Amino acid sequence: MATLEYENIFKSFGDVQVISDVSLTIPHGSFTVFVGPSGCGKSTLLRLTAGLEDVSSGKLKIDGRDVTEERPTARGIAMVFQSYALYPHMNVADNIGFGLKMAKMPKDERRRKVAEAAEVLQLTPLLARKPGELSGGQRQRVAIGRAIVRQPKVFLFDEPLSNLDAALRTQMRVELAQLHTRLGATMIYVTHDQVEAMTLADRIVVLSNGRIEQVGTPLELYSSPRTIFVAGFIGSPKMNLFSGPVAEAAGAQTYGIRPEHIDVMREGGEWKGTVQFVERLGSDTFLHVDADKIGRMIVRAIGDADFRGGENISLAPRPGFRHLFGKDGVAIQEA
Amino acid sequence: MASLRRMHRDGKLAPIFIFLPPALVLFTIFVIWPILNAANFSMYKWSGYGELTNFVGADNFRRLLRHSIFHQSLWNSWKLILASLFLQIPLAMTMALLIYRKTSVNTAFRLIFFAPYILAEVATGLIWSFIFDGDYGVTAQITRFLGMDQLYILADKRYAFLTIITVIVWKYFGYHMMIFIAALQSVPSDLIEAAEIDGASPWRIIWHVKLPLISHAIKLSAFFAIVGALQVFDIILPLTNGGPSNSTHSLVSYLYYFGLVQLNVGYGSAVGVCLFFLCVITAFGYKRLAIGKGAGL
Repeated sequence: MATLEYENIFKSFGDVQVISDVSLTIPHGSFTVFVGPSGCGKSTLLRLTAGLEDVSSGKLKIDGRDVTEERPTARGIAMVFQSYALYPHMNVADNIGFGLKMAKMPKDERRRKVAEAAEVLQLTPLLARKPGELSGGQRQRVAIGRAIVRQPKVFLFDEPLSNLDAALRTQMRVELAQLHTRLGATMIYVTHDQVEAMTLADRIVVLSNGRIEQVGTPLELYSSPRTIFVAGFIGSPKMNLFSGPVAEAAGAQTYGIRPEHIDVMREGGEWKGTVQFVERLGSDTFLHVDADKIGRMIVRAIGDADFRGGENISLAPRPGFRHLFGKDGVAIQEA
Repeated sequence: MASLRRMHRDGKLAPIFIFLPPALVLFTIFVIWPILNAANFSMYKWSGYGELTNFVGADNFRRLLRHSIFHQSLWNSWKLILASLFLQIPLAMTMALLIYRKTSVNTAFRLIFFAPYILAEVATGLIWSFIFDGDYGVTAQITRFLGMDQLYILADKRYAFLTIITVIVWKYFGYHMMIFIAALQSVPSDLIEAAEIDGASPWRIIWHVKLPLISHAIKLSAFFAIVGALQVFDIILPLTNGGPSNSTHSLVSYLYYFGLVQLNVGYGSAVGVCLFFLCVITAFGYKRLAIGKGAGL
């Protein structure tokens, strides 16, 4: 069991309030992702969880035990850093086994545990190498190995894939998801990449300016964003958001619709517009369209759609997929 | 030839021809030539004035090896090396670990500890000779206040060299401390945090993470300490002038006193040649032992 409870957590650095009144429960065995733009406080919240920063006020409990004042090592957590934080003067085996050595585990047992972790992460042939002799992906695995070998209650990941290239990131994402399934441990993962958040998480916590905007499953956040911020942050490309006549006609301050929820046609649609720019991804085509009396929007067409810049087109928002937001930026529930 | 042509084509040859000769000329005039000259002088009995006429071969070296004060000077220089390595550097490291983080209080302490290094050696010697003066100095005031007999620390063979070691450690540990502070500040904080999460105590973080990561700075510092210890001279003169009974000479002050002051330039040159070889052996030995195995200086 490893359930985390954040109770009214505040954190400030001098006069700057970084985390404001965060209350949250992270259930045992979940893969929770803290997501948000740079400076939203997600890494700080993770560091507060690890005990690397002291909370200004509030309580943090792990399995019901108040660990707010506990040292990192007493919390039963392991952390994978963005930079991997591997000890450059130690080889892979020593890096993985460092935590066990600090726990004064007998050498034989330590060696066995390191070998097991290395086997799981396909690091066995690399045990004698130094971090400087490893590729980015291998270093990432060593950092994960160092975390899993201690069998912690909670795994913390601080943007661990951000230094990898796109292909390796996709591969490591799959490996992390498999690792979570295999270990069944509670994992908290910080990222600013909402694709990573959507693909890895079973619960996403969206943060903005040190506050929680919304907590939910990836699909809940995608289909029912509670605020304009979440609507704009979750989904790629991001949701089209308009104010003006379209929103007013719908009785809202802001009208939102995702690019994939607008049908593109030569004529007959509700809105008219001119294609300004076309992005062809093979599986999809994204059209950047200047719509009459509405503004610039992105529209997704399936496959390699035959549209060109300067072409006049017609657009039809699908009924039931629009999102309306009031003056306070909060979603308006439609009947 | 092909590589020369390539260097010429890449424009790398001209800077070599422009900048290398002046450096070579200066190095030859001020380093190579004096070394060769000293080697030549060391085989003469010569006061430093007049022609070199009295060739004595290796007599100066034989005399040197039999001279008990030279043995004492050699032993003193060795003690200075040991004190630099095992007192000065650990002290510098301890202070660096305590104050390497960037805070205003730490900055003030850094300045305080580094200040003695800025003082000229002679000034340092004079200040401390006043402090240890048994008649009029600080020591005299303390002994008077405590109602004790007058204490002449620098005139007592038991304490004089120990005092010199203390002054040298006091003067130079700030310099090594600054090297360590610079190195410690470059240790990535996430490595220290990772070690904390791995359950390492502050002491074990120092031992297993910080010290190995600044080993290059420790090696560099040790090298400077050894070379510096072999060169100690101008602190000794104002403090003890090599006394009492020539018991506190270093190799260089021995050279100065028995070579230059007593107008035995030939003999002094022989000491210089020995010192030169000692430095060369130390430098190469150190390079092989400490630097060759790991990161360079």
